[in-house]
Amino acid sequence: MNDNPKSRIMVVDDEASVLITYRLILEQQGYIVGAFSKSSDAIRALEEEKYDLVLCDYSLEEQHTGFEVITAARKRDAAIPAALLTGYATRDTADEAGGQKIVIMFKPIEIEEFLETTAKMLRREDESNEKSGQKSSGSQSSV
Amino acid sequence: MATAELKFQSDGRRASQRRGPATLRLLEAERSEAIFPVLLGEIVALGHPRAMVLDVDFDSGEITPSAALKWPRHLIGKFATQIWSTDNPIAGVLNSGHPAAFPKTSLHNRPLYIHPIFYSNKALCWEAERMRSENCLAVQNARREKRIRLEEQTCSTCEMRAYASVIVVELGKNTTEAVLAELAHIIELANRCLSRLFKVEHYYNRMRDMEITIAQMGTVMQSMADPVILTDTQHRVIMQNRAAERFFKVPDEMTEGLIRAVELNNMLFSAALSSMLVLGNDAHRDLTLVDAIEGEEMLFEAVSGPTFGPDGMQIGTVTVMRDVTDLRRADQELWLNYDKLREAEEVVRQDRDRLNLIIENVGDPIVVCDSAARIVLLDPLAQELFGSSSDSPSDAILVKNQSDFTNYISSFTFSFAERETAPLRIYNPAIKQSIEYDARSGKIFDERGQVSYTVTVLRDLTALRKVEQLKVERRMLEIEKFAATGRLAATIAHEVNNPMEAIKNAIYLLAGSVPESATPVYNILKSETERVARIVRQMLGLYRNTEQVKPVSVNTIVEDTLLILTRQLQRANVELLTRLRPLPDAVIAADQIRQVLSNLIINAKDAMPNGGRLHIRTRHLHGKDELHGWVQIIIADTGTGISAEMTRAIFEPFVTTKGEKGTGLGLWIVKGIIQNHAGKLLIRSRMGKGTVFRIDLPVVKS
Repeated sequence: MNDNPKSRIMVVDDEASVLITYRLILEQQGYIVGAFSKSSDAIRALEEEKYDLVLCDYSLEEQHTGFEVITAARKRDAAIPAALLTGYATRDTADEAGGQKIVIMFKPIEIEEFLETTAKMLRREDESNEKSGQKSSGSQSSV
Repeated sequence: MATAELKFQSDGRRASQRRGPATLRLLEAERSEAIFPVLLGEIVALGHPRAMVLDVDFDSGEITPSAALKWPRHLIGKFATQIWSTDNPIAGVLNSGHPAAFPKTSLHNRPLYIHPIFYSNKALCWEAERMRSENCLAVQNARREKRIRLEEQTCSTCEMRAYASVIVVELGKNTTEAVLAELAHIIELANRCLSRLFKVEHYYNRMRDMEITIAQMGTVMQSMADPVILTDTQHRVIMQNRAAERFFKVPDEMTEGLIRAVELNNMLFSAALSSMLVLGNDAHRDLTLVDAIEGEEMLFEAVSGPTFGPDGMQIGTVTVMRDVTDLRRADQELWLNYDKLREAEEVVRQDRDRLNLIIENVGDPIVVCDSAARIVLLDPLAQELFGSSSDSPSDAILVKNQSDFTNYISSFTFSFAERETAPLRIYNPAIKQSIEYDARSGKIFDERGQVSYTVTVLRDLTALRKVEQLKVERRMLEIEKFAATGRLAATIAHEVNNPMEAIKNAIYLLAGSVPESATPVYNILKSETERVARIVRQMLGLYRNTEQVKPVSVNTIVEDTLLILTRQLQRANVELLTRLRPLPDAVIAADQIRQVLSNLIINAKDAMPNGGRLHIRTRHLHGKDELHGWVQIIIADTGTGISAEMTRAIFEPFVTTKGEKGTGLGLWIVKGIIQNHAGKLLIRSRMGKGTVFRIDLPVVKS
């Protein structure tokens, strides 16, 4: 699983406890994690550092959404893999995410699945770096 | 009178017979026909050359010679004449009633003495005497009180047909008055003898006639099949016919039973007779007698009438008995049948009353028409629409309704259809509104298969339509409610979700640093948290979208769902077999159906831990009409199956076959969604074989 231990992952969630636990879990896996509770902080951080993956809660502080952060990340790196973590998504949200090749992971997320998907996305980024072609997997809705 | 033959005798023989005075010789005549020969002999003996007798037939009016003496045969015929030939001297004398002498006439070339004789007696005959009547023809003729009329020669008392004759004598030369007087005397003498004999012979003839009549009456009486009994005033039997003897005469065969039967019959008859006499004339009563020979009881109707003697006194009773055994039996049967009929009629009446009661309580107007489409029967509700059947309505609305209805029913009556349902718009005066009724008509046929009546029930569908409308509205409301519940659940879940995410993550992070002794507690913490996570996930699944209900292809939804789940199924070693047939669009909430499908597919996958086959099929089922139908989705696995007890409870909330892993909400939500779509959800399962879910969603042809 831990193929690329030095991968840098950005995690954005407005709930502090959730954010901390995600960071700890991902750090446990050996990733370098940048954790932010506000979209503005995250967007600013993207300008300062390079990330290999963005995991972002859909609904953020005030009326901000994860899309804003991902859009900002894609501005710097168009091919950066990104996932929205959310409790629920409307059809429109899902369609929008699909269109932008953004993975949706529905909370509550099985941690194994979470880690697996994260690793896969990072791997794909490697592949895409080589082949400059990427594919998004289907949303993982387990009901 | 007994002198019909002509007697022509030779004068020689006649002369030799003469001995003693003429009176004695006339008295010797024992019969009337012996009188004229004696008389003619006496006349010739007095010295007159010829004499003859002519008889008068009152019926034909003919006057014909019946006896003659010394008259040449060829001359006799000339004297025959008729009573109305007034210029004939014989007829003239007869009509005048007085004898007369004629010189040479056209009849005869010698002088003639012509003397008429009529039935006459000096004393009243017996009949007139018994009747105390003076009207005796014989006496009247003898007394010559009035002129004798030929047409009146029948006695008004005894109805005796009298006789009349004419004596014609040829006179010799120089006949004196004295000779004529002697001649007249002897003729009158002969007539007196003749009248007496004639009277006796008349009574003798009457007696003979009566005997014949009695014999005939006896034959008639004997030949009557009904017993006839003639009794005297003391109820003693004078006469009875054979039919009566069967009951009342002691038979030759003297058995005790027979005698007793006859005695009993006589007693019964006697009693009946007495009671009838009390009742008076033409009394009748029923009488049961025992047939002495057959030993059977027979019922008679006895009719009695008194018989009277010539003096008007009652001399007895005639009783005629009519065998009414069969009649009474038939009568009894008739009454029995009548009673049966009455009973049947009562049953029919009760049935009719019951039917009327039903009709009155149907709550829909009912109209019965005859074969000519005329209204013959209306229930009270129909009377509100068409008026009562008896009088033609004066109200313009009722007239219009009737004509509208008649138009409809006559076209139905003459159609070939046995029953028909058609919309019929009729103005209802009670609610002042035009209503579209659902007219349901049927035909009643007679024995020949002709329409005799039509029955129409008018169903007011307004209320029904309103109910249908309400149902649709309620369904929409249910979906709305479900969606609202979903929204609420989602909101709660969402709020719970994040803290739970943190807890879950924290538990994961603690995994390595839990002391040995705390491991069971840690495991409880971990598994229960996972359970809460699943419940939250399930609840979030209830509501993912605020989408509208719209026509969608179910096949597309199936394909979309499978696209997401294919990888999971492959990983679980489940072979997917789909057969999706062309479907009409169904008006559904696509996301909800997607949730239903993913729930059932994942359940199927879970039921096959060692892999298996998953069949997914869809098809279109046509409804009874053209309009409605169903879309059927079948999801069948070859998994472990569910026990019968479990299948009954499987759709209840918090019932799961998956133990700790399941939330027990999946199928409950599935059922809720299908119900909200007015669909049907069926489960069929066999342990060890697999489980089949069938979903039917209604579709309406647009």
